[in-house]
Amino acid sequence: MAEIYLNDIAHGRSGDKGDTSNVCVFARKPQYYKIIEREVTPEVLKAYFGDMVKGDITRYEVPSLGGFNFVMKHALGGGATMSLRLDSLGKSMGSAVMRLKIHVEDGELDE
Amino acid sequence: MKKIAIGGGQGFWGDSPDAALHMIRKADIQYLSCDYLAELTLSIMAKQQVKNPKAGFAPDFRSRLLAEGGKEAWEKHIRICTNAGGMNITGCVEDIRDWAEAEGMHGYKIGYVLGDSIKDQIPQLLKDGWTFPNFDYDGDFNDIVDKIYNCNAYIGHEGIESCLADGADVVITGRAADSALFLAPLKYEFGWANDDWDNLARGIMAGHLLECGGQGAGGNYMYDWRGVPRMDELGFPIAELTEDTFDITKAPDCGGVICEQSCKEQFLYEVLDPSNYLTPDVNVDVSHATLTQVGDNRVRVGNIKGKEKPKDLKLCVGYHKGWKTVSMLSFAWPDAYEKAQYCAELIMKKMQRRGMKADDVHISFIGINSLHLGVADMSPELLKNANECVMRIAVFSEDKNECAKIIPEISPMQLNGPPGASFFGGRAHVQEVMALWPTTVPRDAIKIEPHVLEVK
Repeated sequence: MAEIYLNDIAHGRSGDKGDTSNVCVFARKPQYYKIIEREVTPEVLKAYFGDMVKGDITRYEVPSLGGFNFVMKHALGGGATMSLRLDSLGKSMGSAVMRLKIHVEDGELDE
Repeated sequence: MKKIAIGGGQGFWGDSPDAALHMIRKADIQYLSCDYLAELTLSIMAKQQVKNPKAGFAPDFRSRLLAEGGKEAWEKHIRICTNAGGMNITGCVEDIRDWAEAEGMHGYKIGYVLGDSIKDQIPQLLKDGWTFPNFDYDGDFNDIVDKIYNCNAYIGHEGIESCLADGADVVITGRAADSALFLAPLKYEFGWANDDWDNLARGIMAGHLLECGGQGAGGNYMYDWRGVPRMDELGFPIAELTEDTFDITKAPDCGGVICEQSCKEQFLYEVLDPSNYLTPDVNVDVSHATLTQVGDNRVRVGNIKGKEKPKDLKLCVGYHKGWKTVSMLSFAWPDAYEKAQYCAELIMKKMQRRGMKADDVHISFIGINSLHLGVADMSPELLKNANECVMRIAVFSEDKNECAKIIPEISPMQLNGPPGASFFGGRAHVQEVMALWPTTVPRDAIKIEPHVLEVK
């Protein structure tokens, strides 16, 4: 078992709709999809972000693209117009998701 | 087999016109669509128009893009669709007409679509029993109704298609949905029916992959940003459609990359539920979509499905919420973070003594945690050894004077606070805060009016 950053096996992009942050996450190799599916659940992300994301987190699976769409409500301190954050549009929410530490079994990345 | 190529020329108001101009010069395209409107843009334009009745649209569409490439596009029969009209569509049209006349472009046809701005209809809609429910937060629309800057419906392709059918060389809209700027020419060219949901969905996704400009061709690209060729000459994406195929590519002789990963990152960007991506034209289902590299800088998009369009239209309502100000002060090693943090504490103590009534205060430290906030690495070694750190205090208040109280307290900390504080950028300003009220309006409340004006 090893601990790695999600960033090591995934890529994606974040965007905003009002106070909702949309982060899509794609497996860098097809075999990583199931690791992300297992490790990056809405519950894990909710606990990881704590106060940063005040609303619900929903995960949508799109296996044909090897990816997931995470929709996080009340996640941007009020959203573009209202937010006092430096990154009011949540452009860095994607990289914030990518620094999540996940667990992989020995040899799982080599399959 | 008929093939239509359409370029995405602009990702937002303020984007570079270079890629659009390159496409006009070098790419084999029949259409160029340019998105200028983000969620808040119309509120900013509405505010500008209050100060100057001639403002309220994106003037750079004409002054930069058309001025440099508009005549060439016309001569090459490249037709342009844009929502640069913003809050002042007729003002934008007059500006373009004056330019076309001065260029001697006799017969140039300017289409424009009115009807998205419905601020004047709000009282009647309220009387009719429409409550404008807020989809994100609790709240009563009546409480904000006097503070509204703009109220615009996200309209679909219909008005744009009508202008194209009437021969328009350029079509100007207000709050047409970004993707409708792309669907309209495709639907017009291929003659898709109003309820041909699968094809309408293909047209929308062509728009979705193009409407953010460079982001669809290697800009803001997490997968391999180091490997993007010639990023300083980034090309913007082009969609090529036939009845059977849908490819994303880019112009010859420009930078950027079109590959499966670059398309993926844009594909789900701001889509929310991939099975129900709602647009005014169609409910798009991309939950089983495929992206396949079929050539050099060429990706084929497949398996996009459409469902019946939503009953109501999304509304963009911008209103006055209050005021904010952001103050900053920088510190250097040693103990840069500790000094910045201590300085913020001192300032907040002073503000408490002065009785500042803030509705919200956000303190962060640039270089440490201002972007990743609660998930940033705050390990003692990192904090101890930071080369530099910028204290950032943002204050929101409904009362402008309360908000302004903190401004004169920042620069004195250079002499009265922890060592080495460096003030930069001049005194902060109080900025107006506008908020969005996410809601919908019944489709039949919107009367879309297409017009075409010919330059004499």
